[in-house]
Amino acid sequence: MSDKNLDFSYTTVPTICPYCGTGCGMLLEVIGGKISGVLPMKGHPVSDGCLCLKGWTAHEFVSSPDRLARALVGKDGDFKEVGYTEAVALVADAMRETVENHGPDSCAFVASARCTNEENYLMSKLARFAVGTNNIDHCARL
Amino acid sequence: MSIREKARQLFAEGVDGVLAFKRTDGVCIPHLFTKTEVEEICKDVPADQRYPVAGIVRRIFLSGLAGKIGVVARGCDERALIELGKQGQIDFDLLSIIGVACSEEQARYCECSKPYPSRIDVGSRFEGISVSEKVRAVESMEGDERLAYWLAQFASCLKCMGCRNICPVCYCVECSLEDENLVRRGSVPPDWPVFHLLRAVDMASRCIDCGLCEESCPSGIPLRTLYKKATEIVKELFDYEPGADMTQRSPLGTIGDQSELPGGAFEA
Amino acid sequence: MTNSIGELSDADVILLTGSNTSEQHPVIAGKILDAVRKGAKLLIFDPRIIHLTSFAHMHLRQKPGTDIVWINALMKVIIDEDLLDREFVNSRTEGFEELSRSLENYSLERAAEICGIEASDLREAARIFAMADKASIVYCMGITQHVFGTRNVLALANLALLTGNVGRLSTGVNPLRGQNNVQGACDVGALPNVLTGYQKVDDDVARGNFESAYGKKLPSKPGLTLIEIMNACLEGKIKFLYIMGENPMITEPDLKHVEEALSAVDFLVVQDIFLTETARLAHVVLPGSCWAEKDGTFTNTERRVQRIRKAIDPPGDARLDWQIICDIAKAFGSDYFEYSSAEEIFDEIAKLTPSYSGMSYQRLSTQGLQWPCPSVDHPGTVYLHETGFARGKGLFSVVEYDPESQKLEEHYPFVLMTGRVGFQYHSGTMSRRSRALAREVPEAYVEISPQDAARLGISDRDKVKVVSPNGELTVRAFVTERVRPGEIFIPFHFSEAPANILINSRELDPQSKITSMKFCPARIEKA
Repeated sequence: MSDKNLDFSYTTVPTICPYCGTGCGMLLEVIGGKISGVLPMKGHPVSDGCLCLKGWTAHEFVSSPDRLARALVGKDGDFKEVGYTEAVALVADAMRETVENHGPDSCAFVASARCTNEENYLMSKLARFAVGTNNIDHCARL
Repeated sequence: MSIREKARQLFAEGVDGVLAFKRTDGVCIPHLFTKTEVEEICKDVPADQRYPVAGIVRRIFLSGLAGKIGVVARGCDERALIELGKQGQIDFDLLSIIGVACSEEQARYCECSKPYPSRIDVGSRFEGISVSEKVRAVESMEGDERLAYWLAQFASCLKCMGCRNICPVCYCVECSLEDENLVRRGSVPPDWPVFHLLRAVDMASRCIDCGLCEESCPSGIPLRTLYKKATEIVKELFDYEPGADMTQRSPLGTIGDQSELPGGAFEA
Repeated sequence: MTNSIGELSDADVILLTGSNTSEQHPVIAGKILDAVRKGAKLLIFDPRIIHLTSFAHMHLRQKPGTDIVWINALMKVIIDEDLLDREFVNSRTEGFEELSRSLENYSLERAAEICGIEASDLREAARIFAMADKASIVYCMGITQHVFGTRNVLALANLALLTGNVGRLSTGVNPLRGQNNVQGACDVGALPNVLTGYQKVDDDVARGNFESAYGKKLPSKPGLTLIEIMNACLEGKIKFLYIMGENPMITEPDLKHVEEALSAVDFLVVQDIFLTETARLAHVVLPGSCWAEKDGTFTNTERRVQRIRKAIDPPGDARLDWQIICDIAKAFGSDYFEYSSAEEIFDEIAKLTPSYSGMSYQRLSTQGLQWPCPSVDHPGTVYLHETGFARGKGLFSVVEYDPESQKLEEHYPFVLMTGRVGFQYHSGTMSRRSRALAREVPEAYVEISPQDAARLGISDRDKVKVVSPNGELTVRAFVTERVRPGEIFIPFHFSEAPANILINSRELDPQSKITSMKFCPARIEKA
């Protein structure tokens, strides 16, 4: 490519809609490293080239200026930004102290119907294996 | 010639990228290939996995690419590119087309009257279908029956906006389908027939008959049949075909003293 | 779903209840419309008028909370008129005699009186359903979100068993899952009583497999459900709470209670992509990533495990959610949280989960695989129960209607139903940040019938106050024929008018621990 277009690229990435449980196939259009749009995936076993308006616009929230880009520590809605590693240490310390002082069942974990199977599995592993409690659920009923 | 050979030739002539298809995990996805990626270009253009190539070209240019690109295009894709070029949406001179002729089977499925681009690099030419059986079938209905047929179709609309979103020649920043004075917000189905007729009127002088709208409709509304008829009317009245060549101007875009309707001349 | 989405197109009859499919699952609504165009009869049991009712052969409007009555009445007609599938009932089921006896009380006349559907309509619907070769039952939250939600589902399962509509193409009992991966989160054990693949934590053999894989004893006592966790927080029993990618401050019933509970814990961690209403209460907020930024799998409502692929990087310091969990586990001092990719985690799931054990990223490709998929050469399962049920024979459950469940309270003459609209999604954190979606339905409203509106002097777009024994909120009135007199509907997506503030969480379904979100006593006042 000529110099002026060195960073230029267009590609599409096959994935699944993040909204409802239908699981429609979609392609994310990526221009120069940014998501620019959505195309319905042709030949998908569920949706075969169709989407609803939510699917068609699923990329719009991704680049919202409201996205969290830093870890926050705070109380009563007053937050200050902290480094990621520091935030992780704070969480692990609090978890350890709670288990030591009150037992594993004083901890609870809420996984997510929005996250992947892999992430939900790890949340369950964190609760059951690392901490030692079965207090794990998500909003399956809503 | 194969798509890859032609792409190599275009890179040698100085294009900066080639928009074609890439096979990955059993599907074909649109991708802008660089010179070093030529071997990954899908050898054929998959019949059942068509994408709005011209719309993608428009978005690529819109995002700031200043170079030249090659693009794998069927007959309908080329018509869309011409239409976008005429309407100032893309610079047609920056494009080199790798022309792909559609198979007879594809042409029959589409009832396409011109299933090949102006120059064919890949595939062999099948002459096309001059009369759409689907349009004739709807036309053969009595007036009331035909109205009932379309109203029932429109009533099934789920307002996904897929017909507009996938359309390679739809590009308005402000879309009349989002004008609250014309179409109420938030209701399923959207107000009909106004929603669908607004689009049909828009398509009458623009539709290049790719049929992607109908393929993306979850309700299975026969939009292609509707727009084929709309463009037929424009062809009859004005002898105008969207996307046919760069010189013809859209009669609906240029109502003036040059345009005549059967009832008499319009004054500018 | 026992069956698959695509099969709906070929059903002869579709019984749809408690699902506004066109708005909540539009692409599935497309399959239903396809079936109707091909001649299928669509029977809709729903108190509200929805988009699909104009395509229905019959729209039967039951009074909210009376589902068991109409379902039992259909079955009684089917048995009385000998329209049941005797061969299926004899060879594949047990408990028919008990079921049959229990239906004695559900005469058409009594049923019609309770559920508000004409006796003749109930009879006709029963005949249409029973005489179909392939009848498919499709339902959603309108069935499950009741304190008797589990019994509603069992009643529908009875109906399918009675007519032999199980274990064949285009039949079955088919719940539509509301969230992209609610099926998967359940499948991989994000539930208090089961490990992956619904292996019970108190089953020593199943737990033993995990214990030998992890090299450590696991707790065997089932844990607390979400609503129980909230209660335990208030009681001081839960001191540390870690919430990933959920916003209970909008989606849970009884929001005041939720806020008190979340404020009561010593340490609240929220991991999300936005500073949600829930995250605002946290001690530590961790920046997670969205679906476009990660590799992984989602499992859809028809049990299809599908791959999602990373398209871009997450913003700033945000991390992949699975990496955050691993980082915390490692900082906590736990082994076995070293993964280099999502694929490696998936392989571990497959190893521990019989229904996923034949799956790999390579096999999932872009078409996915439907569980159960027990071996690497297994093609996946399009529909369940072809030859048998997990327990052997299908068991009819005796399901009785409890008139108490339909009682309104004094001063609250309306039945409030909460739900969704097609252009918004759950707590709105994603959909309200979409320009195209926000313009369609920007704010909350309450649907009220023209008769009630006239009687109360309310005009369309007026601001009104909706009051329940649990709380109140102010929204605009949407005067519409969609709801009948005495019934109102509010979508719950909007944080400035959160419908869940009105819902109580004291009475729960004994099995599913869900509260009643489709039957809340309420009144309306001019604001």
